[in-house]
Amino acid sequence: MDYDPMAMDEIESKGPVIKISQADTVRVKFELSNADISFANSLRRVMLAEIPTIAIDLVEIEDNSSVLADEFIAHRLGLIPLNAEGIEELQYSRDCDCEEYCDHCSVKLTLHARCTGDENMQVVARDLVPSGDRINRVLGTPIINESSDGLGPLIMKLRPGQEIKLQCIAKKGIAKEHAKWAAPSAIGFEYDPHNKLHHLDMWYETDAKLEWPPSEYADWEEPPQEGERFDFNAVPDRFYFNVETAGNIPPDAIVTEGIKVIQQKLASMIHDLGETEGGENGDYNGPRSPEYNGGGDGWQDQGFTTPYGNGGNQSAWGGGAGGTTPYGTTPYGGAGAGNGGW
Amino acid sequence: MAKSKSRTEAPQDASEDVVMQELPTSHQPDVQDDASMAEVDAEDDAEVEDEEEIEDDTQRVRLLPGSTPTAASFEFLNEGHTLGNALRYIIMKNPDVEFCAYAIPHPSEPKMNVRIQTYEGTTAIEALQKGLKDLQDVCDVVSDKFVAAQKDFKKKSISS
Ligand SMILES: [Zn+2]
Repeated sequence: MDYDPMAMDEIESKGPVIKISQADTVRVKFELSNADISFANSLRRVMLAEIPTIAIDLVEIEDNSSVLADEFIAHRLGLIPLNAEGIEELQYSRDCDCEEYCDHCSVKLTLHARCTGDENMQVVARDLVPSGDRINRVLGTPIINESSDGLGPLIMKLRPGQEIKLQCIAKKGIAKEHAKWAAPSAIGFEYDPHNKLHHLDMWYETDAKLEWPPSEYADWEEPPQEGERFDFNAVPDRFYFNVETAGNIPPDAIVTEGIKVIQQKLASMIHDLGETEGGENGDYNGPRSPEYNGGGDGWQDQGFTTPYGNGGNQSAWGGGAGGTTPYGTTPYGGAGAGNGGW
Repeated sequence: MAKSKSRTEAPQDASEDVVMQELPTSHQPDVQDDASMAEVDAEDDAEVEDEEEIEDDTQRVRLLPGSTPTAASFEFLNEGHTLGNALRYIIMKNPDVEFCAYAIPHPSEPKMNVRIQTYEGTTAIEALQKGLKDLQDVCDVVSDKFVAAQKDFKKKSISS
């Protein structure tokens, strides 16, 4: 197998390339090039849905004389961005040894506000006070952006005399389970700004060119020539990411954490496959888990066949010959190997 | 019709129900068939036996029945397009691999199937392992390149 897996492009060179065009505390914009769209999309998906963060998950309301329903407030609290620095040291509650939650798997926040003046009062994220033994001084603290005058997101308003008193338990989670755990607030993902690949079909009234504003990356790529033929072999290979955060994780950390999550996935799969092979002294006798094998003997197992196999003892594909590829006799071309159809 | 023999503890009726519903009549008699079977086959397998792997949450990859050394279907639990598509791509890059595809047989089951068929000289499992490792290498490179790009960017923004 002498090929370079890094060379994701046909006109390969030095593998994937990254160029950052903008980076600050809120966003990072970068171009991933010389990579395949499947990988770029994996990165996008993993950043969106699988980076662990912390968010309020349980709310115990002691007193609520506001006009808002308890569950309405609880929902809003869940969506308040909390600082996720040091999240890797926090345990998932479901993996923790404790009964329901503890300092190893949660952060406690309390909120107590009463409107004593004669003006309506705002209850904001800053009023959420973390308590208890925390993993570090910032994990679970509400994110307060400068733009909000140090107050943070508005949770609710109180009229004179009204009161809210509650305790929140913030837990570790991922956005796959609930969007409140999303690490980025949004991810921009685009490729092929001139739509040369025709992956998009632009709606228009009279002229798509006039009605659709050009992408900010339009200048980065060669526009199509007048009368240029459609390239049937072209594939996208430059991807423009715009990773934006609400502040719980810095934008560049979202990217590195995202890659880390893919790595962890792959590592766990490699580990599992090792177990599947289960020390069958190297030869191809039964790379499957013991419980699957059911104590049977070897590869072609006993009666656990697919609906397509007639005989109980052979695979649906081969004639039990083991080594031949099922496509050896298909319309796809002669003798499997050699003709390089794929 | 050609019925599948089911395993002793597998609920017979349930498994055969599925088979009967899903099996297109034209597919019944012959075994040597066309490529469209690859997916149908894998899908049926996933549904025929379902219970056992759910209780075991540590083992997330499984070889599906009907596999041979050079042509195998794998079932991944709790994985989806995120891993599936990238894995499919990188495995297809391997010149020893004749065919690789992935499918999510049913949207409400957290399962993803990968079909791998190789030429002689390697096995589907080896191809899968190699694919996973190659993808790890790609991640390593992208990660390194990103960190390098960050440094570059900082340098540039300071000097400008
Ligand atoms: Zn705990």
